[in-house]
Amino acid sequence: MKLFENLRKELAILPPGKRASFYFRYLGYSADPAAPITAARANAIFSLFTEPEPRVYPHEIIAGNEFCLWTEAEEPLFSYAKSITKQYGERDFLTNLDHYTPNYEHTLAVGVPGLIKEIELSLEKHKSDPEKVETLEAMKRTLEGFLQMISRYAAAAEAHKGEAGYDDERLDFIAKNCKALAVGAPQSFAEALQLVWLCYTAFILEDRYAMAFGRMDQYLYPFYEKDVKAGLLTKERAVELLENCFIKLENKDVANICIGGMNVNEKCQVNELSFCILDAVRNCAVPGPNLSARITPDTPDEFLDACLKSIGTGIGYPALMNDCVNIAALKRYGYADEDVYNYSMVGCIENFMSGKQPPWSDGRFDTPKFFDYLFNNGVSAVNGSVGPALGDISEIKTMDEFMDRFEKQLKHGADTYIAWFNNSNNNLNPKYYKQPFLSCFCYDCIGRGLDINDGGSIYPSVHGVALMGVGTTSDSLAAIEKVVFIDKEATLSELRDALNSNFEGYEELRAKLLAAPKYGNNDNFVDKYAVWFVDYLSSLFTRYKTHDGGGIYVAIAANTNNIYAGAVINATPDGRKRGEPLSDAASPTYGKDTCGATGTVNSVTKPDYIKVASGTVVNQKFSPSMFKDGKREKLLALVKTYFKKGGQEMQINATSREVLIDAMAHPEKYQNLVVRVSGFSAFYVTLRKGIQLDILERTQQS
Amino acid sequence: MELNLSNIQHFSVGDGPGIRTTVFLKGCNLRCPWCHNPETLSTQPQILRYENLNKEEICGKRLTVEEIVENLLADKCFYDESGGGATISGGEAMLQADGVKELAEKLQQNGVSVFIDTAGNLPYDAFKKVNPYVDGYLFDYKTDESEKYARIGGDLSLIRNNIKKLIGDGMYLRIRIPLIPDFNTHKSELRNICRTLEALGVNTVDLIPFHRMGSGKYKALGLTYEYENVTPQTAEEIEEIKRIFSKYFNTTVE
Repeated sequence: MKLFENLRKELAILPPGKRASFYFRYLGYSADPAAPITAARANAIFSLFTEPEPRVYPHEIIAGNEFCLWTEAEEPLFSYAKSITKQYGERDFLTNLDHYTPNYEHTLAVGVPGLIKEIELSLEKHKSDPEKVETLEAMKRTLEGFLQMISRYAAAAEAHKGEAGYDDERLDFIAKNCKALAVGAPQSFAEALQLVWLCYTAFILEDRYAMAFGRMDQYLYPFYEKDVKAGLLTKERAVELLENCFIKLENKDVANICIGGMNVNEKCQVNELSFCILDAVRNCAVPGPNLSARITPDTPDEFLDACLKSIGTGIGYPALMNDCVNIAALKRYGYADEDVYNYSMVGCIENFMSGKQPPWSDGRFDTPKFFDYLFNNGVSAVNGSVGPALGDISEIKTMDEFMDRFEKQLKHGADTYIAWFNNSNNNLNPKYYKQPFLSCFCYDCIGRGLDINDGGSIYPSVHGVALMGVGTTSDSLAAIEKVVFIDKEATLSELRDALNSNFEGYEELRAKLLAAPKYGNNDNFVDKYAVWFVDYLSSLFTRYKTHDGGGIYVAIAANTNNIYAGAVINATPDGRKRGEPLSDAASPTYGKDTCGATGTVNSVTKPDYIKVASGTVVNQKFSPSMFKDGKREKLLALVKTYFKKGGQEMQINATSREVLIDAMAHPEKYQNLVVRVSGFSAFYVTLRKGIQLDILERTQQS
Repeated sequence: MELNLSNIQHFSVGDGPGIRTTVFLKGCNLRCPWCHNPETLSTQPQILRYENLNKEEICGKRLTVEEIVENLLADKCFYDESGGGATISGGEAMLQADGVKELAEKLQQNGVSVFIDTAGNLPYDAFKKVNPYVDGYLFDYKTDESEKYARIGGDLSLIRNNIKKLIGDGMYLRIRIPLIPDFNTHKSELRNICRTLEALGVNTVDLIPFHRMGSGKYKALGLTYEYENVTPQTAEEIEEIKRIFSKYFNTTVE
C-alpha cells in the first residue's frame, strides 16, 4: 500500500473533541483584550499558530494538518470564546477573505526568516508613520507565530521517535526539513514543498477556504531540477511527496493547482514536474485538489494526452484552460505583462494575479429571472421579487422592441447587483479589518507597510459576476423570435399566461417553444443570442469598479447554483418549466445540444470570451470508451480545435450514465466515485439527488 | 442532385479515422435481423414514436448535395485537426452511387476526406463511379457461408469479387465484421473468414461487437427486434476473437 493510502486512513480518524479555531483565537484576544484592533488580530493569529498541539501522523512525510484545532475545551468556556471572537468580527468571501494565490515564488526565495527581515527593513523605512508601524508589527508577530509553529512540527515529529506505528526515518525527514525552514529559506524540493504546505495549513487554521497553490510546477521546478541533477531526488519520490500533501485535501477544499501555461515569450512551460503533479493528483483521486491545466498552442500533445488520461480515470481533473483567451482577457485590465502571464486560478476557474491582488470575491447574476419581470410588468408571478415596471407586455410589437426592454431590465438588474456588492464592502473599514498574516504573502504589502485590503497589494481587488443561464436565455429569446414574431403562433400576452400557469393548458404552445432552435447545435438563429448575452452583459458590468478601483469581471459559470436559481424562477419561454434548473454554466441547456460535440463546440465558441476575464465553464461528458487508446486522440483533437476556435475552458466528465444510475441506487458501492460538478469535483454519493440527476442529464456526447 | 437520407451525425468517432461526420443514407438491399439501424432499411419516410419520451420523429428526408456539403463543412476544422472527414453510410450507401459520387466529389474539392461504409452487395460499376473521390471503404463482411449470406439477401461471390477489385484498384479498405452471436462467431467460421480475407489480400479488419442499442428504434417503429434478448459478448469473448484475427490482420475492436 502506498504511503498516501495509509495516511488517508490515519486522517479519517478524527481527534477527540471539536474543531475550534475560534477557541484558539480567543486565547490570543483574551491575552490583551484592550489591545488596538490590528494588534489584537495579530495576537489572535499568533495564538492560533502557537497554542494548538501540532499532530504528526505515522505516514506523513510532509507535515501540517488542521487536526491540531480539535479541542476538548468544554462549556461554558466554549460558547464564551465563540462570542468574544465574533465581537472582533472577520471578513468573509464577499469582502476578500480567501480564494487567493499567495506569492509562493517569493516566499520560497527568502523563507519565513527572510520575510521577517523584509518587515524589519520596512519598519525602519516607515518608522515615522505610526499606522504603518502598527501594520508591520502585526505582520511580524504573525510570522513569528508561524515560525514557532514550524519549529513545533519538528519537535512533534521527534517526540514520536521509537513509537509503535511510526517510522524514525520519516520522522527525521520531517524534523530536518522543518528545522531548516525555521532558520532560513528552503534549499531542497522537499523543504520547498514543506514550506508551501505549512503556509497552506496556516491559512486553513485561519479558516480560509480555496487558498490556491498557484503555478506549482513553475515555482517548485528550480528546486526539483537542482535535486534531480544532484541525484538527491527521483520523479517517483517527488510524486510521493506531492501525494502526501494532496491526500490531505480530501473533499474539504477547492484548492486550485495550476500547471502548464506560457511565459512572457509565449512559450509553453510544461516540465517534468507538471507531469509529477498530474500523476499525484490522479493517484490520490480525491476532489480537493482542483487541478487546472493552462493549455497553450504549443503545449505538447503528450501533456494534453496525459491530462485526458487523468480525466478518463473518472476524477474529471484537470480542467483545461485556454491560455491565449485568458491572457488576452486579462491584458484588457492594464496589468503588467509579467503578471498577466503568471496568472493562476483560484476557486473553480477564476483568473487571478498570483500574489499581487487582494483575495477574490464573486456573486451570481440570474439572467433568466428578468423574463419574469418583463412579462409581468415588474413583479414576479411566482416569488414576490421585483424589477422595473416597463409596461404591459402586449405593448411590444417587434423582436427589437422586446430586446430593448429586456436590456433595460438587465441594466437595472446590474445596477442593483452592484449596489448589493458595494453595500457589503462599504460596511467594512479596511483600517479595522486587516489581515496581517495574509498580507505577508502579497506583493507589496511589506514594502508599503500597508494591509492587503488597504493599498498594500500592487493591484486593486476585483470582483467576478457569474452570469448564469446563457443557454436558457438564448433558447428563450430564439423561441420568442420564432414562435411569436416569425410564425405568429402566439402573442406575447398568451406566452405570459402560459409561463404564469407553468404551461398547464398550454401544452401545444410549449411544444412549439421546445421545437424552436436551441443553443449548442451550430444554428445562428439562436447562437446570435449567446453572442449578444456575452457582449451585452459584459459591457454592462465592466462599467463599474470595485471600492478600491479594481475591475468587475464577468464569468460564465454557475457551479451548481443554476439548480438553486432554477428552483425559484418562473417558467421561461424556452419551454423550461418552473423549478427546473437553468442551463449549466456556459454550456447549452441539458439535452438540447443534439448535434454531437462538434456542434456544441461550434456554438459555444461563437461568443467572444476575451470579454470574460473571470473565466467560463463548459462541461462536457464522454463515455469512458472515449478515453481508450485510439479514441482519446480524437478527444484531443476536439479539445485543440475548441481552443483554436476561441473556447475558454472545458472540463470533461468521463463517467458513464450506467455507473451514475447504479451509484444512485447503491451509494455504498461508489464511495470513491468522484464526479466533476461544474467547476470542481465532488464525491458523487455525497451529492443531493437533484444534483446527481443534473449530472445525469448532461448530454453524454458519443 | 438529391440524396435520400435518415440522419447526419456529427462527431462520429467509430466510422473511420479522426473526427468524422457520418451521413446515413436511407434504403438497403440486405435484411440483417440484428441491424442496429432499422430506420435506414426502407427508402420511404417513417415515423419513430418514443412513448417513454412522449416524442415523435420523422425519419427520411431528401437533401441536395449542396445542402449536405454545407452541413458537413461546419466541422472542417475538426477534420483537419484530427485527420478525419466524412463517412457516407446507411442503409446501403452505394445504392445511391450517383448522388454519392457527386457528394464525394464536392467534398474532395473542399479538402474533406471521404470514406464509404458499405456492405458491398451490388455490381462493381457503382464502386467504379465513386472510387476517384474517396479515400477508402469500410466494407462489411458478415459471413463466409453463401447460404447464410443469401438468407439476409446477399450474394457472397459478388461481395468477395468487389473486395478483390477494390484492392486491385488500389483502394484503401477496412473490412468490418459484425460479431453476431450464433450467426458468425463460431470459431470454425471465424477462421474461415480470416483465410478468405487473407486470400483476397485484406490486411486491416475492424471487429464490431454485437450491441442492442438499436432496440429502442425497433420499438419506436412498431417492429419486433429479434435480437432483443440476445446478450452482447463479454470483454473476454471479444478478446478471444480478436486474438484469432490478429494472427492474420491488423485488427481493432470498435
